[in-house]
Amino acid sequence: MIIDHPLLGPRDAAEFVYKGDASLIHRPDGMTATDDEMHDYVYLRDNPAGEHRELWYHEQGDRSWLVVTRNTLTHEISKVELARDVARAEGRGQ
Amino acid sequence: MAEIDFTLEAAPILGGVDLTIGANRIAECDDLAIVSVATPLGGDDAMAKALKDVWNLSLPEPSVSSQSGEIRTVRTAPDQLFLIFPHATPDAETVVQQKLAGAGYTTDQTDVWVVLEISGPDTLAALERICPLDTAAFPIGGAARTVMEHMGALLLRLDVDRFWLLSASSSAGSFLHAVETSYRNVASH
Repeated sequence: MIIDHPLLGPRDAAEFVYKGDASLIHRPDGMTATDDEMHDYVYLRDNPAGEHRELWYHEQGDRSWLVVTRNTLTHEISKVELARDVARAEGRGQ
Repeated sequence: MAEIDFTLEAAPILGGVDLTIGANRIAECDDLAIVSVATPLGGDDAMAKALKDVWNLSLPEPSVSSQSGEIRTVRTAPDQLFLIFPHATPDAETVVQQKLAGAGYTTDQTDVWVVLEISGPDTLAALERICPLDTAAFPIGGAARTVMEHMGALLLRLDVDRFWLLSASSSAGSFLHAVETSYRNVASH
């Protein structure tokens, strides 16, 4: 599998580590979230057969976190973004 | 009681290895200092200005190093770069920190990495077998961080058939073995 890194171009998946569902970006505020909200964030994931947004870490590369949109049935990768760009666009990291 | 001299002498990580394989050469560079510089949040312009003012270096592109005289700089992460330059004394980080005057956060990486300079007509063929990247497509000055034989490595193309390979000093012997074996597999004698 080849991941087309937004800064570095196509890189082999062996350079990356899978870090889970991209919804992990949306961590609730630990000081105000209810137990249920925190439980859902930590334990509950969708398991789609089809398009899936996921976090990949470029460990053997530039150490960036990516949001990769991948089809879990075909492994086709349709979109690769820097996770920090995604997070900022969604209002995080201000 | 006899006087005992406890003076220590620094030794190169691989003992200054210098191998000739066919028409190719693998040599350890042991005179280089490496300093990591991280850019503060929103400090890209200040970093670019500091590099230009202090060393006449341009901020390197993500996959291409920049050079000024004997100092080179390589991007290792979106907000981090390495400065690599000949430096005899073990104070490279202090020197860089003072010159940058707050434009970046510095960490000494000297002796954390082993630096092999590899050269010769079989270099691309040898790299092809152990490096997942297309090194033949690198421009001169092209640089990338990747994994070779399960060991993290940083490559820098110095010339058509001359590269620097940086890898962890703790596994330097294994890294040298991988590079040497690949050369021996492809070298024409």
